[in-house]
Amino acid sequence: MSGEGLVEVGPESEFEDGDHAVVEVGRAEVGVIKAEGEFYALRNQCPHDGGPVCEGNVQRELVGEFTGTGERVEQYYSDNCIVSCPWHGWSFELETGKHIGDDRIRVPTYDVVVEDGTVYVDGGD
Amino acid sequence: MIDAAEERVIDCDWHYQDSFKEVAEYMPEPWNTKYKRSNWDDAGVKQNLSSFFPTSTGDRQNYGKVLREHSNYPDEPEEPERVGEGMEFLDIDVSLQISHLILAMGGVNADDERVQAFTHAYIEYMLEEVLDPDEGIYGLAPIPYGDIDASLEVLERVEDEDAYVGACFVTAGASPPLGNRKYDPIYERCEQMDYPIVYHTGGSGLDEYVRAGYQEMIETHTLGFLESNMSQIVSVACQGVPEKYPDLDIVFMESGVTYIPGLVSRLDEEYLKRPEEAPLLDTRPSEYITDFYFGTQPLEISARNDLLELCFDMIGTDRLLYASDYPHWDFDSPSVINDLPMLDDDDRRAILSGNAEEVFGV
Repeated sequence: MSGEGLVEVGPESEFEDGDHAVVEVGRAEVGVIKAEGEFYALRNQCPHDGGPVCEGNVQRELVGEFTGTGERVEQYYSDNCIVSCPWHGWSFELETGKHIGDDRIRVPTYDVVVEDGTVYVDGGD
Repeated sequence: MIDAAEERVIDCDWHYQDSFKEVAEYMPEPWNTKYKRSNWDDAGVKQNLSSFFPTSTGDRQNYGKVLREHSNYPDEPEEPERVGEGMEFLDIDVSLQISHLILAMGGVNADDERVQAFTHAYIEYMLEEVLDPDEGIYGLAPIPYGDIDASLEVLERVEDEDAYVGACFVTAGASPPLGNRKYDPIYERCEQMDYPIVYHTGGSGLDEYVRAGYQEMIETHTLGFLESNMSQIVSVACQGVPEKYPDLDIVFMESGVTYIPGLVSRLDEEYLKRPEEAPLLDTRPSEYITDFYFGTQPLEISARNDLLELCFDMIGTDRLLYASDYPHWDFDSPSVINDLPMLDDDDRRAILSGNAEEVFGV
C-alpha cells in the first residue's frame, strides 16, 4: 500500500449497486465499486492498455460446465462479480483483482472501510 | 550431430497411395458395385479434374516435374512392397500410413455413405495387404467423423489390431468444426482406448473455403493447408476438448510449424478480451495448444533460423514429431530435422523417434 491511510471516497448512501467512484490514493488512481451491496476497490488502470477498468460494466461472471459427452456446455452466471475494462473488455474479479481468463494477471486491490456512513479506501499505513 | 541413418526414425505421416479400384474390393455393397460401375477405375490416384471425391486447384506434381523413384505415385496405385523400399530410401524404421484418398473426404457433401464405405474398406484392405508391424509399417484409422456411429464402429474394428495405432481426422471440410460436442463420443472412445487423434490437414473444398477464384496451387495449398488445421485447432481448443478428455493425445499434421506461434498469439489476445466465450478453459488457449503434438512437415527450413528456433521453443521439442509425407510432392527427409543447428542431439532423437514412441507406442 501507499501509506496514505484512509482516503475518503464519499457517503455510502450515494452508491447504488454498479456505481463507482474514483479517488487518488497516493500516486495511484483507485476505483471504488459497489456491487451486490459490497464495496470493492481496485487500481483504476487496466494492465492491458491502461484503460479505466473500474469505470466499466459490473456483472456476474458467465461460466461453463462440461456435464457429459455430447452435451452442450452448460452456461450460467456464477456468484463471482467482475468488472470489465470498457476499452477492450479485460475482466477482473472484484474480490481478488484476478483476470478471469488468466489469474497470473492481477489488478491491485485495496481494502474498503465504511465508517459512520462514509466510504474510505485503505491506502495503507 | 547424430547420424540419422544410424538412429531409429519414426515417420508419423506416410501416405499410402491407395486406389479406389483396389479398396473397392473391400467395400460393402452397394458401394462396391457403384464404384466399379462409376468408370473411375484408378483415376483417384492421379487426382484428375473431376472425381469420385472432389479435388482442388492445380497439379500436385507441378505438371510432371516432381517424380518419385520409390513409389508408384502419382501414376499408378502403390504396390505394398514399395513402402518398404521407400522407407529404406529415407532410412525410416517405422512409418504410420495415412490414406491418400481420404484426404479429399471433406469435399463429399452428398448425404450418402461413400465415406463410411471407403473407410471401412480401407481398414480391411490395409490390414490384409499393406500393414506389417514386424516391418515397422503401422496405420492410422481414417475416421468418417460425420457419422458418429460409423466412427465408433471403425474404432471397435481396430481396437485389437496391433497394426493400427491411432485415429485420423481429416481437418478439411469438417462441418461443424471438430471441437463441436457432436464428436465427443469419438473423443471419449479414443481416450478410453489410449488412441491418439491425428488431425491431418487437406485441401478438399479449399477453393471455396473463403472465396472461389484462386488460380494456382501455390495459393490454394499455402492457404488451405493452414486454414484447415488452424480452424480445427481453434475449435478443439476453444470448445475445451482437452478439458473434457484430458488424457487424449492430440496431434496436428502437415502444416509445418511457423503458423503455430502466430495463431496462438492471436487467439490468446482474443481470449484475454473475451474468456467467457471459452468457458471450459482454465487458462490461455496457447497453453493447451502447445500441449498438442505437431508433425514437422513441411518444415519451413528456408525461414530465418531464429524464427524456427522460436517456433521450436514455443511448441517444445518434446511435442514435435518427424513426418515425411512421402511420397507426396513436398515430402521431408529426416535430414531436415538433423540439420537444424539449434537442436541438440537429444532433441533430434526426440523429434525423429522418441516423441512418437511416447504418443503411438510403436
